[in-house]
Amino acid sequence: MITFIIRRLIMTIFLLVVVSIITFAIFFLIPRLAGQNSYELAAQYVGRNPTRSAILQMEAKLNLTAPLVVQYWHFLVGIVAGTHYNSGTSITYCAPPCFGYSFRSQQPVWPQMMAALPVTASLALGAAVLWLVGGVAIGVLSALRRGSIFDRLSMGAALAGVSLPIFFTGLIALELFSYKWQLFPNVQWVPLTTNPLLWARNLVLPWITLAITYAALYARLTRAGMLETMNEDFIRTARAKGLRERTVVVRHGLRAALTPILTIFGMDLGLLIGGAVLTEVTFSLPGLGQFTILAIQNQDFPEIMGVVMLAAFFIVVANMLVDMLYAVVDPRVRLSLWRCSRSATCACSSVPTTAWSRRWTGCRSTWSAAARWASSASPAPARA
Amino acid sequence: MGLHRGSGTDITGQIRLDGEDLVSATPERVRQLRGLKMAMIFQDPLTALHPYYTVGTQIGEAYRVHNHVSKQVARKRAIDLLGRVGIPQPSVRVDDFPHQFSGGMRQRAMIAMALSCDPELLIADEPTTALDVTVQAQILDLIVDLQSEFGSAVIIITHDLGVVAEVADDVLVMYAGREAEKGSADDVFRRPGHPYAWGLLGSMPRLDAARVDRLRPIRGTPPSLINVPSGCPFHPRCSYPSRVGGDRCTTEVPVPREIGPGHQVACHLTLSSQREIWAELAKAAAPAEAAPADTAPADTADTAETAETAPAQTAARTAAQSATPGEPGQDVTEVEAP
Amino acid sequence: MRRRRTLVVATCAVLAGLGLAACSSGSSSPGSGSNTGSSNSPSFNAALSGVVNPSTTKGGTLTFAMSSTPDSFDPGNTYYDWTWNISRLWATPLVTYKSCPGSCGLQLTPGIATGLGTVSDNGLVWTYHLKQGLKFEDGTPVTSTDVKYAVERTYDRSVLANGPTYFPTLLADPTYPGPYKDRSKNIMGLTSVTTPDAYTIQFHLQHPFPDFNYVAAIPQTAPVPPDKDTGSNYQLHPMSTGPYMFQSYSLNTGATLVDNPNWTQNEDPQAKQLASKVVIKLNQNANAIDSSLIAGDIDIDAAGTGVQAAARAKILSSPSLMKDADDPLSGFLWFTYINTKVAPLNNVNCRQAVEYAADKTNQQTAYGGPYAGGAIASTVMPPNIIGYKSFDLYNALSQPSGDLTAAKAALKACGQPNGFTTGLAYRSDRPKEVQAAQSLQAALARVGINLQLHGYPSGTYYTDFAGSPNYVHQHNLGLDMGGWGADWPDGYGFLDEISNGNSIAPSGNTNIEELNDPVVNNLFAQAANPSLTQAQETAIWPKIDMQIMKDAVILPEVYAKSLLYRNPAVTNVYVQDYYGMYNYAVMGVSTSAST
Repeated sequence: MITFIIRRLIMTIFLLVVVSIITFAIFFLIPRLAGQNSYELAAQYVGRNPTRSAILQMEAKLNLTAPLVVQYWHFLVGIVAGTHYNSGTSITYCAPPCFGYSFRSQQPVWPQMMAALPVTASLALGAAVLWLVGGVAIGVLSALRRGSIFDRLSMGAALAGVSLPIFFTGLIALELFSYKWQLFPNVQWVPLTTNPLLWARNLVLPWITLAITYAALYARLTRAGMLETMNEDFIRTARAKGLRERTVVVRHGLRAALTPILTIFGMDLGLLIGGAVLTEVTFSLPGLGQFTILAIQNQDFPEIMGVVMLAAFFIVVANMLVDMLYAVVDPRVRLSLWRCSRSATCACSSVPTTAWSRRWTGCRSTWSAAARWASSASPAPARA
Repeated sequence: MGLHRGSGTDITGQIRLDGEDLVSATPERVRQLRGLKMAMIFQDPLTALHPYYTVGTQIGEAYRVHNHVSKQVARKRAIDLLGRVGIPQPSVRVDDFPHQFSGGMRQRAMIAMALSCDPELLIADEPTTALDVTVQAQILDLIVDLQSEFGSAVIIITHDLGVVAEVADDVLVMYAGREAEKGSADDVFRRPGHPYAWGLLGSMPRLDAARVDRLRPIRGTPPSLINVPSGCPFHPRCSYPSRVGGDRCTTEVPVPREIGPGHQVACHLTLSSQREIWAELAKAAAPAEAAPADTAPADTADTAETAETAPAQTAARTAAQSATPGEPGQDVTEVEAP
Repeated sequence: MRRRRTLVVATCAVLAGLGLAACSSGSSSPGSGSNTGSSNSPSFNAALSGVVNPSTTKGGTLTFAMSSTPDSFDPGNTYYDWTWNISRLWATPLVTYKSCPGSCGLQLTPGIATGLGTVSDNGLVWTYHLKQGLKFEDGTPVTSTDVKYAVERTYDRSVLANGPTYFPTLLADPTYPGPYKDRSKNIMGLTSVTTPDAYTIQFHLQHPFPDFNYVAAIPQTAPVPPDKDTGSNYQLHPMSTGPYMFQSYSLNTGATLVDNPNWTQNEDPQAKQLASKVVIKLNQNANAIDSSLIAGDIDIDAAGTGVQAAARAKILSSPSLMKDADDPLSGFLWFTYINTKVAPLNNVNCRQAVEYAADKTNQQTAYGGPYAGGAIASTVMPPNIIGYKSFDLYNALSQPSGDLTAAKAALKACGQPNGFTTGLAYRSDRPKEVQAAQSLQAALARVGINLQLHGYPSGTYYTDFAGSPNYVHQHNLGLDMGGWGADWPDGYGFLDEISNGNSIAPSGNTNIEELNDPVVNNLFAQAANPSLTQAQETAIWPKIDMQIMKDAVILPEVYAKSLLYRNPAVTNVYVQDYYGMYNYAVMGVSTSAST
């Protein structure tokens, strides 16, 4: 298990480096290829009154004349070890991870992102709980009552939920519940630590708006999964044992149908924490999504780079966690992670692996440890 | 066991367990009885056991449904049962998952699960089909041992006549969802009265016979259960409707008729005709002579499902000995909905 | 470079001697100027001529909302109308504009100075005296070195890149590197600004510049204590010399300001300290701002450029909402440059053909119609600039869909009776400009003038494309769309950079038509004469305007307007003509318990 984690971590870092190279190239290499020189690039980042000397000063400050590889190297070093930045009045130290300073506001990027993160996290996690519980419940009920009015209505509503864009639903919700009927007046971000009640109250509309879209998807997925699972033999066995129908459905049916759902949930959540752009812009929430949009509008390269790296980090980590979660949920997957085949020099012919415990009941391994490390592949993704 | 309910099957008649009719019982009552008084083991134990729960959990669950005990007690019981069914190191294996067992052991675990509440009736649906012959023998021995130890009635559903011959006390031959013949194993094997039974016995290759070029299958194919043939469902494949007067075979459904003590046959042929035909067949099937094989290349039927058993099935019943003292002749029939 | 707008309305007080006929044209445009300080009950455009909801009630929270973020809240580093307006809450420059509705609001008046600056005889030295006893928010006294330092720090564009660059251009020490590099050597090192004593400051110019008081009104002269200056971080908490001070400021979310205990009315007579808290919310969804405004959840849309299309439709169709709306001139002119070097437009008759043939009504529609676009323009200076005179050389007002006969005659006169072909440059990421370009193309095609449209990104429009004469010549861009608003409300501020011969620059050019008319140049030189009186100087501007129009180098399209909405709960609401939006320095809230 540890080797699995380590290998995935290495892959994560590698992926992030690749992402950073691509983003860097897009912003600096492509304009170069299009014929723009560093002077013109600097002109984009100067204020509204670019005199020639101002542009030259900006060019020097941003180190735009250095070769691309050097610029990229400084950037990477900054993330790991921090950079010393000449901000005019003094030399300041930008602590790692240092994503540089915003071209526009001259303020460091990382603290801005960290300030925006709790907003997106609150939004994403709250909505995630809603859509997971709601979507799965509706999906299960629809599957059990397949063909009934409830099933048809809920799947129809699911179709609508998936089809309506978030900004539409959000604006309607705002118009009705915030402005017209004043149920949620003044929707704005209030930090959790300031006033938990107000924090939750102001997030209800964004949560519901976001959850509607995703819950629809999960309801359909759960329904399909349940329909398939309820036809399995072990459901029949469970019934034959005399279990209550509810137990059969939840403990046996849902448990089996849930694995692909959880996988997708992990991915969705990872993507969402990287920035729920549409929702945040609609509801004016100062999260990573809004930060991203503004950074793009302002062509503020350090901010864009920081946000891209952060979002990529979340997605890759979510991917890794989901893979590990899959092993937790589906025991059939576990064995391939920590293989102890009978053919290897390992006296643990039937070593049980309960959860994550490694009970070495007399299992000796000599060369087989290395062999195992080399041969264990990541679990076959059996997810949907 | 009521597992078919809601699937659009039509059940007529009565099913009585311990005097209680199950067809007319409420679903809740049937559920209470499942596992407690009647238990089932299924054909493919790999798919029949839940892949995400340990064997111990599943057996424990079966036990805890009908007995309010703690998880530890249920676990002990599970270990107990696993030992009884012959699984080595049961206290270690109880925490394994089904995919960590071999085929035979899985089936044993299924049996253990079915027996966890000491049911009075055990239904085994093709318990050995998925296993190889040596394991098959072990499982059958186990069932017989457990049956005498636990004292439950056992219904084994199989297409394998060898299994029937090995373990059955009573045999119920079914075709197209209806009874064809019922009697003791001795009766059915030595003095079968139904043309289908003749066909089954006749199609079996015999060790003591000379090598024959062809086996003798029953001509024709099993009927579609949606369009069951009128009258006697076997008549399209039967060679003997001509011996029955008129067209009774095509118009009239034969009713089971007693032809000996505890031996019933559902066929329009008269007793004398049956005996006559069987005598002919027995002679023809005697060793050193191979009757010309039927020219029916009805192999498609064989490839469809296991042998020619679907939907026809042979039920073997082991008479209950000590399950309910003083109540001979319990009538238990399991109708397998296709 | 591109400036935002500053509005100006004919200053009737300044033109006391001249007839008021020179003031606003008397059309639906506001600023008749006679009701300075009188109060008006809420009705459409009530805030243009009077104060709506006058009150001295203190308390409550005033809430601003903004759809983006400011370029900076540092008064020395910002170049937007709304930030110049709102910065008066925490920064008072040497001189400022009078807080009153109508044309009264174009007058300069002392800020932290005791009076408007006085100039030496040779016109090269301007002297200001500071009021005594003024303090920063932490109680430290304000002295002239703080003002000098505030000016000094704007010289280092690598630290503060955003503000205007008048000081390096006008003052006598243009190569001063700013106080950030080599700090011990350079601090207080700007030799063209001297501080003979703690309450006197003198500016030494390279050439005479009669409009210097206007330069002193820019927020860059608001004092900054040198030991509290943190360069690019100063924006997070500027030391306040205004009625409010920063309590908290989160760059992308918003700021909260509270009463500045060390501020006295004397520090800035034009500002008021009524609300006890001011909240500025940033990065709000623009449409949500409008809805919140109408619902009463927020008090003011800080951008001051008008409501979005959806809210506009709602307001214009509802009488109850209309009475809380105003439609002021924003001080901007939307127009098209007609280049004098790209053939055949080097012939004045061809240029005049363009002036005649354009369809002004369609242009107005393209920019948003009469309420949100503006009034059809016939002069270069909008009505709210000091020196505005109304005239109409090309029948823009009498025949707004174009005078095709005259156009054809002009074409014949320039030797192109069947029209000609040339390019039209515009900014492709501005939807209104795109539409206006297409409309102009259609209008001119009526007389055979075929325009090839070329769209460019607005970020580099002036640095690389329309603002580069070489590029314009090479690509045959005879017509170039643009907009202009001056930094201060007189003819110099409005006209100099777009028509003075010596404003032509190889990059970042704003005299895109490359006008180098000796008549115009001489008039500018005359106006710079320090011995002129204000009235004489003001009389020159309309002459320049007239000459520009005679040269037909600018095709004026609309005097921009914006539809603003005022929350009925806000007190002391009126449009300050200089900003073209509500005066943010004087507002309060009527209920002290508003959130």
